Amino acid sequence: MSRRTRAAIAAACAATAVAAVSLPTHAAAASKPTITASGSTSVAPLAFQLARGYLRQHPGRVKFRIAQGGSDVGVADVGAGRVSIGMSSRDPKPSDPTGLVFNKIARDAVCVITNSANPIANLSTAQIQAIFSGTVRDWSQVPGAGLTGTIDIVTRTPASGTQDAFQKIFLGSKTVSSTASAKASNGLVQQAVKSDRNAVGYVSLDFVRDVHAAAYNGVACDLRNAKSGAYGGVRNFWMVTRGPATGPVRTFINWVQNSSRAQAIVGTHWVPLR
Amino acid sequence: MLGALAVVVLLVIALMLTFVAIRAWPAFQHNGLHWFGAQGDVDQQISTMVNTGANPSPADYRFGAWPLIWATILTTGIAVVVGLAFALLSAIFIVEFSPLALRRVLVPVVRLLAAVPSVVYGLVGILVLAPFVGDHLISSDRRTSVEFVIQLSGPGLLVSVVVLTVMITPIMIAIIVEALHAVPRSWKEGAVALGVNRWRAMWTVSVRVARPAILAGAVLACARALGEAIMLSMASGGKGFAPNPADGLTFVFEPLRPLAATIVENVESINAPAIRANVYAMSLVLLLSTLTLSFGAWMAKRSMRRYGVAG
Repeated sequence: MSRRTRAAIAAACAATAVAAVSLPTHAAAASKPTITASGSTSVAPLAFQLARGYLRQHPGRVKFRIAQGGSDVGVADVGAGRVSIGMSSRDPKPSDPTGLVFNKIARDAVCVITNSANPIANLSTAQIQAIFSGTVRDWSQVPGAGLTGTIDIVTRTPASGTQDAFQKIFLGSKTVSSTASAKASNGLVQQAVKSDRNAVGYVSLDFVRDVHAAAYNGVACDLRNAKSGAYGGVRNFWMVTRGPATGPVRTFINWVQNSSRAQAIVGTHWVPLR
Repeated sequence: MLGALAVVVLLVIALMLTFVAIRAWPAFQHNGLHWFGAQGDVDQQISTMVNTGANPSPADYRFGAWPLIWATILTTGIAVVVGLAFALLSAIFIVEFSPLALRRVLVPVVRLLAAVPSVVYGLVGILVLAPFVGDHLISSDRRTSVEFVIQLSGPGLLVSVVVLTVMITPIMIAIIVEALHAVPRSWKEGAVALGVNRWRAMWTVSVRVARPAILAGAVLACARALGEAIMLSMASGGKGFAPNPADGLTFVFEPLRPLAATIVENVESINAPAIRANVYAMSLVLLLSTLTLSFGAWMAKRSMRRYGVAG
């Protein structure tokens, strides 16, 4: 085997490695306290913006290091003391490590989406439960559907916080049909629904472009209705600490929860607390 | 010095195997050999393990990996067989029949294709192929006929295998081309002097002596296909389902999810002990398969090497 072939193979092998996602924020002097965070991929975009806003208002006060990994990772990391803040887009679970404090920082709407060829006007809780649990399997049985044919259910993988929220808010005691196809991220659900006329899925409000977001119990899924409280499918974003927050972490979380500037950042794409 | 390095490599492999095996042990302890069998809806089992959190009961470990193993065998097997046929024929063309100008373009392009990151192939799969298959190849009657068992929406066996084949074929072409180039010209000339045509000389002399390299290429491609996670996670349909060849044409549209894709989708939750043990168990199966593959190829090559030129 020649050297060139080996180089080609090495390149091919290296290409299969997956890059880890972690965005270091502002570099600062080593003496400053560092706030580390990991967890939910839904909360992370908001956390980046909040960190940037905090440093703009209080330059040089702290350093941030924010990684992602999923809600479960954030909760476990903070429980084990590996990070100072665990980001979670799901509510506390009985199986979480003990002694954690969940600090609510924002709220986020979850929308049920269909293909734009199927702009279904409204879905009631009962209809959503019937569709996702598989009792109704054809769009012809759903009043207001723009087409007929099988219903392709797109759900999220079990680790997802969005999946937790959808289960809790929309499905209650029902479970998603075993025929459903599970995707690993909001973006993949959006893409699957965008490219399949028969599909139905659920995503965070941030991901409804190029698909149709159905109204839920008569209320359109948009930022305004989510903010006003009219829209029912709203979940919480949390910053989790081990025990009550102390020191710079406490100052930061207080700023996020109480400062009007922080809540204005939240209000650009998410639902502020006040 | 070099010897020490080799020992270090062996040690790393041994340590890795031991570590993975220890972490995987609870999965086999609770399931026994049924772990390799089908025990109902595998996605339901994964979901139970993720949600049970820190203190799983023994029943929570229940896991039957067969749909995932079968999906791995199907995607890897079909892609390697189809890809090998393509790779062999294209390599023969490039080395023996292609005009020089074309060869100068083809060889770098093949190398480039071999180095494209798998996530790019995955994007092609979900943005182009899956919608095409869903819109034009799967009829609504076919969807309805199996709606209570599985949903056919586009991503599935066909899309996975097509993209996987495109991914691994260039690696095989590159290796086989090198090997065919290395066949001494005089050997081929000898055959031609005995009166056989170019095509026959190619098959009976060049391809024959290049067998070890062809095998090496196939093994390498196989290893890449076995370990392919991101692309298959995107394009395979995301459902732990075992496609059934007895379903006729529907078989090729059925969704599935191989082991590597399942691992990458569930690493997020490996802080829960039950899912951690099973993720490690799946990794162990993949690790042992690639080791067995390499060892088997090494055994096979020993017998071929007598007249071999490369590999």
